[in-house]
Amino acid sequence: MGDWCRVMPQDWNKYVNHEVRVSAQDKQQYEGWVFTVDPVSASVVLVAFQESGGASVRVVLGHAVREVQVLREADGDTEKKLRSLLTPAGCQVFSDVELKERKERLHGWLEKNLIPVTDEGDVLRVANVLTISAPYGAGQCTSSNEIILARVQSLVESCPQQKNQQ
Amino acid sequence: MKTPVSVLRLPRGPEPNSRGFDPNSPRYIALCPTTIPASSGNKAGSVTLEEEQRVRSELRERFLRTLLAMTSKPVHFSLYEKVQVQAKFGASDIDILNFQVSDLQTPLGVQKEALLRCQDMISFSFQL
Repeated sequence: MGDWCRVMPQDWNKYVNHEVRVSAQDKQQYEGWVFTVDPVSASVVLVAFQESGGASVRVVLGHAVREVQVLREADGDTEKKLRSLLTPAGCQVFSDVELKERKERLHGWLEKNLIPVTDEGDVLRVANVLTISAPYGAGQCTSSNEIILARVQSLVESCPQQKNQQ
Repeated sequence: MKTPVSVLRLPRGPEPNSRGFDPNSPRYIALCPTTIPASSGNKAGSVTLEEEQRVRSELRERFLRTLLAMTSKPVHFSLYEKVQVQAKFGASDIDILNFQVSDLQTPLGVQKEALLRCQDMISFSFQL
């Protein structure tokens, strides 16, 4: 097992979105944009964009990585292309302002329905038994009490103007 | 109806109800590094630990999405000793030790279902 497997996650993160050349065992070399490095197996995921519009993905297993060389720095365009390549289409990104708005709206709605709710920064807590994290939809309710969970979830679902919940 | 295939028993994996790694299982001791790289608690502040965890989860999520995108696609595997095989990817275990694949095209013929040891691979690739 090489040194590559012992690198800290922050250092792996430095390679993300950069174009690199990975030298593997058997003197093979692979080039591509780094999509990620698996923190468990240290495997490098390389993406090469093709002219036809598709992309080929190559994963080099962590134990076979000998050397990683940066060829080109990350740029915004490729970063966006990489992200859209493998994230599901239904995924939605909320800005900080939107998230705050959603939280306030849900907070108000729960209070209006006489539910004891406290704002704890990123999460809303209901009576110390249930938490709702961003983006504050029915799917983000967490509780060990399924009866309370079902009640609050149906209430969250009926919250006016809280659209696009996942 | 499909005829059932015989199943090769692997050393016991993680407990089904736990959160993953069972550090006492023989398989874990044999194959997994006992520690994954992390800064030790007393050396680094809680802020850096939290940051490290965030980075780790982000990297891991991206990797799992890659595996998800790969399911039921033909994947080309480069193994040691210049062996090249192709198969349809099915699933992986959490610590990336084995891949379950279907229709493994080996130099000797096609194997309907197979497990590939990740330790035998150098790299694998697929098209999106």
